Amino acid sequence: MDPVIELDGLEVRFGKRVILKKLKAALTGRSVGLLGPNGAGKSTLINTLLGFHKPSAGTARILGRDIRTHAREVRSLIGYMPENDAYISSMTGVHMVRLMAELAGLPPEHALERAHEAFFYVGLGEVRYRAIGTYSLGMKQAAKLAQAIAHGPKLLFLDEPTNGLDPPARARMIQLIQEIRDRGDLHLLLSSHLLHDVEECCDQVLILKDGNVAAFCNLEEERRANRRFLELETRGENNGDFLAAVEKLGCETAPGAQGRLKLIMPDGVEVRRLYEIAAGQNVQIRRLNHKRDSLEDIFLKAMENPDGRL
Amino acid sequence: MAVYKKTYRPYEGKLTPGWSRFLVIPRYAFTEFHGKRFLSLFFFASFIYPLICALIIYVQHNASALNLLGVQGQGARGLISINVTFFMNLLGWQSVLALFLASFVGPGQVSPDLANNALTLYLARPFSRVEYVLGKMSVLAILMSLMTWIPGLLCFALQGYLEGWQWMKDNARLASGMFFGAWLWILMLALLALALSAWVKWKPAAGGLMFGVFFVGSAFGAVINAVQRTTWGNIFNIGHLVGVVWVQLFEGSNRTTNGAVFFRATAGEELPLWTCWMALAALSLICLYMLARKIRGAEVVR
Amino acid sequence: MTETLISFANVSRFYGEVLGINNVNLTIPPGITSLVGPNGSGKTTLMNLMTGLIRPTQGEIKVLGIAPEHPEQLCKVVGYCAQFDSCPKGLTGYQFIYWFLRMHGLTAAECDRKTNAALERVSMTAAAGRPVGAYSKGMRQRVKLAQAIAHDPQVLVLDEPLNGLDPMARAETIALFREWGQNGRHVIVSSHILHEVDQISDQVILLSQGYVVAEGEIKGVRDEVKEQPMQILVRCNDPGGLAARLFQQDHMVEAKISRDRKGLLLRTTDADSFYLLLNKVILETGLEVESIAPADDDVNSVYQYLIGGEGGTV
Repeated sequence: MDPVIELDGLEVRFGKRVILKKLKAALTGRSVGLLGPNGAGKSTLINTLLGFHKPSAGTARILGRDIRTHAREVRSLIGYMPENDAYISSMTGVHMVRLMAELAGLPPEHALERAHEAFFYVGLGEVRYRAIGTYSLGMKQAAKLAQAIAHGPKLLFLDEPTNGLDPPARARMIQLIQEIRDRGDLHLLLSSHLLHDVEECCDQVLILKDGNVAAFCNLEEERRANRRFLELETRGENNGDFLAAVEKLGCETAPGAQGRLKLIMPDGVEVRRLYEIAAGQNVQIRRLNHKRDSLEDIFLKAMENPDGRL
Repeated sequence: MAVYKKTYRPYEGKLTPGWSRFLVIPRYAFTEFHGKRFLSLFFFASFIYPLICALIIYVQHNASALNLLGVQGQGARGLISINVTFFMNLLGWQSVLALFLASFVGPGQVSPDLANNALTLYLARPFSRVEYVLGKMSVLAILMSLMTWIPGLLCFALQGYLEGWQWMKDNARLASGMFFGAWLWILMLALLALALSAWVKWKPAAGGLMFGVFFVGSAFGAVINAVQRTTWGNIFNIGHLVGVVWVQLFEGSNRTTNGAVFFRATAGEELPLWTCWMALAALSLICLYMLARKIRGAEVVR
Repeated sequence: MTETLISFANVSRFYGEVLGINNVNLTIPPGITSLVGPNGSGKTTLMNLMTGLIRPTQGEIKVLGIAPEHPEQLCKVVGYCAQFDSCPKGLTGYQFIYWFLRMHGLTAAECDRKTNAALERVSMTAAAGRPVGAYSKGMRQRVKLAQAIAHDPQVLVLDEPLNGLDPMARAETIALFREWGQNGRHVIVSSHILHEVDQISDQVILLSQGYVVAEGEIKGVRDEVKEQPMQILVRCNDPGGLAARLFQQDHMVEAKISRDRKGLLLRTTDADSFYLLLNKVILETGLEVESIAPADDDVNSVYQYLIGGEGGTV
């Protein structure tokens, strides 16, 4: 599949400091997560792809277009939702999104139509005629998303989209992002510190550290992989007996978070056997799921590499 | 029966041509000005002087009107002569009004975009910094053009129509002086207004600074002249600089005037022409530099 | 006994006519307590009351036996990390913490020691000499945290402390909270990230529109919400068959088969019976179970039930 974003030895310097060190990666998923500790270069990468910084060496291609030679075309394909506040407080919501859409090249009538549509889509239908300066934090975030999608881009850059949102607003934002991802015609690059959000919304993950690619993995594949790892939570009289019986089967066990049990089942042992034990001991298996490396494990492993290299 | 869901749809229609995108900014700015009554009143009031000028021109050529005024024959010509002074004064007055306009309108151009980081949104589109500045300058340029050279050239055209083609050819310099002189002023003001708007957040302060640059500058220049007994202090007097250039534009080498109302270069103290051009160019470059520093997509932290 | 509790007795706080919190009764034991609720529900008001920054319009507050009317005593035992940045301009990270400690009346040497210890704790020693204005968001957050823990308080009140921190800093800070909580101190954290709240808290307090809607241990809170039957999600190869078996029981209320026909979301008033029954069903019918999880015994579900969708984007 043609890569959505292709980094080809991309190097970016500020003065003498090298911020991005010859990054090489090919991102093909519908939705790619961008992770990394503070100072790893995530914002610099996004700003460079948008054309705000010039690469000192190497280049990158977005949907096939080189960012060095076709910067303008690249920007017409991208919608950007910045991390910080970004609005014009005296304008109404629709007015600002119209302005931004027209600046992206839409004719005025279409810009107006699409501005309204965008507002309804992100759930701000009721407040679109109010000045943005009066919006609450959640509304401002949604308005940022509206201006990013109004001109119909092919790739969205979302920088900390759930920043500061309270739980229902977070859930709604995540739901929106998942809907956008599932559409298929709009790709996403999601940069966030919240591993949970990235896990829920992204197919692939690019982890940066100190300006290098520390890890690049495909979450879909990770999820589909090896079914031998389990996490259990039990309730019953004799948890100790259950543990002993399970270990007698040949499983390796280890205590997990929140009082749960991590298991590795050897070949030949099926989940059914665990239930046999449970039935016999009158133990309830309250929680059971297959766990491959969760994103948190992947991230921590990536951070352990000394110079941040894969 | 069909059920329609509100959903996202990609845009496949055609786009507006790239070169005209910067005009979106003045279009939006003008819709906002509609609501501001004071501004609209001021704008329309600024046409009063040109109207009076047009009236004078008309009256000069209209015998019955002259009879009414009780002036006859050659005396009529002497009432108010339509010459260099006339047009320079027109330009001068309208330019002062343009300064007022720029002080009201200018500060609100760039600072709202910088206040809440909206500039990132502008520049994340196929829209460059140059287009942004051009768009914002157009807002001021269009308004100021409507106040300065457009009425001026219309008066010139009226005079030419009434006097005849020969007069127009002889006095073509008046038209070009009006046009280029106005544009010089417009560009200086626009750059200055935008630079101040980008750097000064509080709008009244930015407006005050616009005036300050002119009046304080000229006072400073006068002080230097007095103290150092020289004429070089006039370099800080933008009115002086512009006046000298205007005299050159309108009259070339044979001067009869020394500028117009506010843009007077006191006789004997004129700076050489090349100095004036250099000083004005330096001021423009400073403003452009100030703009370039502030108008960025992303801050670079070293 | 009251020396180890933070107690609110019929506390109300109004800002003129506007409601902050109304008639709140709480006793907070040591450990990690999370404050959860939409924006504007009274979390910040509650925290400000606890730290003595504002006084209640009505009611009595006691923090470890000290009333907020005695700020000299209260400030020694309470450390506060506010949501918004508020550092005097021009100070470096080190100076910010150092002078704050000096105001407590400690000697210069002592302050220096404690400042360095606090900076070490949040991994900010290297950047301590730079002005706070030049810090990134994450760094500012860590300096705020350092300032809150520098004087070794018994009670830590933290308003969205993990905001802007990258995953490693989050994990380190959470470890710090855990350590503090286990040492018998009070750690009061407000957060919007509910699954983190699940992971770290011993107690949770849910606020909505100025009222305390629920408080206590998470599992306990869930059990209290009796109107809502337990929801359990079972992913297996024959959800229909399983549902048929389960409907023969009295305690089953509802069963929904998921879109991909591989999952069953069921609601039951007696979870224990259900699980024991499930053991039997699997052995008798050879049902292959891929995963089982209670769908709602976490803060997220309790939040949904009690607070619902208000406070969303609109």
